[in-house]
Amino acid sequence: MSDTTDTLRELLTPFLPDGADAVAATKPIADLGLESVQIMEFVVEVEDHYDIAIDLDSLANAHTLADLSAVVERLRA
Amino acid sequence: MSLFDKFDAAREKHEALSQQPLNPTQVTIDEVLSATLARINGRDTILAGTNNYMGVTFEPECVAAGTEALAALGTGTTGSRVANGNYAGHEALERELADFYGYPSAMVFSTGYGANLGTMAALAGTGDAIMLDGDAHASLYDGAKLSGADIFRFKHNDAASLDKRLARLGERASSTLVAIEGLYSIVGDYPNLADFAEVCTKHGAVLLVDEAHSLGVLGEHGRGLAEEQGVMDAVDFIVGTFSKSLGAVGGFCVSRHDVLKLFRYTSRPFIFTASPSPSTIATTRAALNIVRTQPERKARLWDNARRLYDAFKAQGQQVGPQASPVIAIRCKDTESAVLVWHRLIDEGVYTNLIVPPASPDGSSMIRCSLSAAHTTEQVDAIAAAVAVATAGMN
Repeated sequence: MSDTTDTLRELLTPFLPDGADAVAATKPIADLGLESVQIMEFVVEVEDHYDIAIDLDSLANAHTLADLSAVVERLRA
Repeated sequence: MSLFDKFDAAREKHEALSQQPLNPTQVTIDEVLSATLARINGRDTILAGTNNYMGVTFEPECVAAGTEALAALGTGTTGSRVANGNYAGHEALERELADFYGYPSAMVFSTGYGANLGTMAALAGTGDAIMLDGDAHASLYDGAKLSGADIFRFKHNDAASLDKRLARLGERASSTLVAIEGLYSIVGDYPNLADFAEVCTKHGAVLLVDEAHSLGVLGEHGRGLAEEQGVMDAVDFIVGTFSKSLGAVGGFCVSRHDVLKLFRYTSRPFIFTASPSPSTIATTRAALNIVRTQPERKARLWDNARRLYDAFKAQGQQVGPQASPVIAIRCKDTESAVLVWHRLIDEGVYTNLIVPPASPDGSSMIRCSLSAAHTTEQVDAIAAAVAVATAGMN
């Protein structure tokens, strides 16, 4: 498990219902029951945390935290 | 996996909506009685969910202009502006729009949606970037996609959020198109354009403002938010529609940059669409003339907006921070919103049901919109119906 995935999981936690289980790296983000606006706000938090800009095409292919982690690491490289 | 499998979710939604007495997404308006009254589901219903801000749809001079054009020029142009669909009326409307905004040129598109597609896809391309407000209309998203540029989003109405993201793009910021709206159509809120213009200037980005809902509604002469906030010289492109304050269908782009006239050679949504029908152009020109010459309509619209907003506040409804011709009432959940919407229909008031994912912040709302043509009695009737429909709900 990468540090980036752990950090993404922490950034995601405020958007989940209280008491929700930790999100597995391979669980589809679409299955978390979040509204699209919450996913957008989560991505904004990720961008601000890492000081990066993630384009929508990259996001469209990031189905899980592991996928998103790979996108973040690519943009930071 | 069949191509049709992707419709499973839509089918489920359709079947759930079809169980309801009236499908909120497919209301049939059986007869339109005036700009503010229609016959729906067998009864006279006040229209509080249109975008007929200026109330011009039945205006005698608009109807006469359309009728005359229909008789004189026929039902349609049958072709694109670049082939056989460029009539004198299209060009006259472009001159009148340019004159209205005080810009050198204008372009008429066949829909407001097409105006956003055509403008964005003409301006940006592969390798460029587009920054969209998080609450931007679908047409801005679709225009961005059509352009082939990389698309980024920033926090709604937050110029600082845009500033950070443009900074992250580095040199690419100078080939970035920023797209925002002059009046957001669900909640009726709007940005501080001076802040956005300053950020765009700082990074060399181009600023496009979609004034679809603010034409006629904001600004001393009804030009929209850019006029209201005194930044006509700082905005690069203004896109708008004929389908709201002008009571027709179609769209336009105006700009202080002469590059706009070259879109005619590059904008596929302009080139490969049939041009608006002569009667549509004629009613639009008449309506634009009304916006120009009858400022009292804007005053009436705002009187109505403030009256309804104040009534909702007095009822304790959860509304936005300021009065606007678009007022959204937040409901505690989707089920409540659906029930309130149906109760309003039963009370003889048509509104818009806004539920996720269409709502800007994930909440469920009843969207009410005002018209200059609403009478004070109608505004009071809308308020009274909302009080009844929401009793015990929130």
